[in-house]
Amino acid sequence: MIEYLEPILDNLPFLWAGIETTLVVSALSVACSLVLGFAAGLGRCYGPAWLRLPLVFYIDSMRAIPVLVVIVWTFFAFPILFGVTMTPIVAAVGAISVHVAASIAEIVRAGIESIRQGQSWAGLALGMSRAQLLRKVILPQAVTRMLPSFGSAVIVTIKDSAIASVIAVPDVIRHAESVVAQTYRPFEVYSFAMIVFFAILFPVARVVDKLYLRVGHRGRS
Amino acid sequence: MTLDWSVVWEHRWALAAGAAMTIQLTVLTMLLAVPGGILLAAMRLSSLRLLRWPATAFVEFFRCTPLVLQVYWAFYVLPSEFDVRLSGFATGLLALALNVSAFNSETFRAGIASIRRGQSDAALAMGMSSFQAFRIVILPQAVKRVLPVLATTWVALFKDTSLVSVIAVSDLAYTAMQLRSRTFRILEMLTAMALIYWAMGYPQAKLTDWIHRRMAGKE
Repeated sequence: MIEYLEPILDNLPFLWAGIETTLVVSALSVACSLVLGFAAGLGRCYGPAWLRLPLVFYIDSMRAIPVLVVIVWTFFAFPILFGVTMTPIVAAVGAISVHVAASIAEIVRAGIESIRQGQSWAGLALGMSRAQLLRKVILPQAVTRMLPSFGSAVIVTIKDSAIASVIAVPDVIRHAESVVAQTYRPFEVYSFAMIVFFAILFPVARVVDKLYLRVGHRGRS
Repeated sequence: MTLDWSVVWEHRWALAAGAAMTIQLTVLTMLLAVPGGILLAAMRLSSLRLLRWPATAFVEFFRCTPLVLQVYWAFYVLPSEFDVRLSGFATGLLALALNVSAFNSETFRAGIASIRRGQSDAALAMGMSSFQAFRIVILPQAVKRVLPVLATTWVALFKDTSLVSVIAVSDLAYTAMQLRSRTFRILEMLTAMALIYWAMGYPQAKLTDWIHRRMAGKE
């Protein structure tokens, strides 16, 4: 049994560094995609027409292009086009955020549209401004309804972070590859990487399931 | 910066072959993953713990690990540890099919659960066996009901096939990235790759929206 663990134990600090990178890339991508996605979703619902059209185009395009393609393009092609250089981590976080933000925007839109029109009328009739209406009436209800879908998006983001290894982000998978190249023990090392991701994602998935049960139906009008 | 887009046109047949491989992978995976998903869903809803347990473990495992890692695992571990020698294409297809089966099983499970209990009671009262009731009464209604979700999965799968490029299956992503390093026309090749994916994926995404709208609120 212990000889199975050898390639893992010998390289534990190195693999742990990879786990940290995965967590950092995931957390940054979640944060950035929430901000971007909220902006895009609100812009699509309430923005002026000249803004809405490009936003719809952006959101639908991201549904058509694989995240791998966006990551590779951002890392290799974007710098040529704009004459900037990026570290792999910055490119990965940027690309994943832009990709996931499109689905967040759709979640935000669906949440806002699920609030009955009568609520807006009631708010306006009470003399609220549009901003007040959004902040005090619509968003508190809509965000509750969005929560489970946000959870699903977080799971997708963590899984997408694994794809960043193709542009040499030093994450769990990249470091696992290096250890395999040194030790020739793919079974142990890749299985370890599997367990790491499972240990991160399984609890998150359970929380999301709970959210669907507890919050999903709440405020349904 | 000088751009030379002719390089894309020059390699149009290679790119077309890559795109064809992407489509082939998508279609074959779905053909395997629909029966796979139904089987797993039936196992998870079974009253036998012996069937329920392995199916649940399978689904949770595939849903809680990244597909790209499943592809790596299949590619490096199957031959070295289990002496299973598959081509890159077969390995990629296997990983994709198992992964999508797990997601489909959740879809079908929800669909089957949404069919009222009275339907299976009625079928049993008419003298059908429980298997007949499942096959003739429950499943056809459930499949129809989950069609929009399957369409969404289809689009996600179309995009996910790009991940088999990491094990050198010559799909669109792999072909374009190979051409990139061979021709050194990085921006042109990668942009062409993105545009081809966009041109293929955009109509699928729109079609999915249409299916969702059509089926909304229908029994």
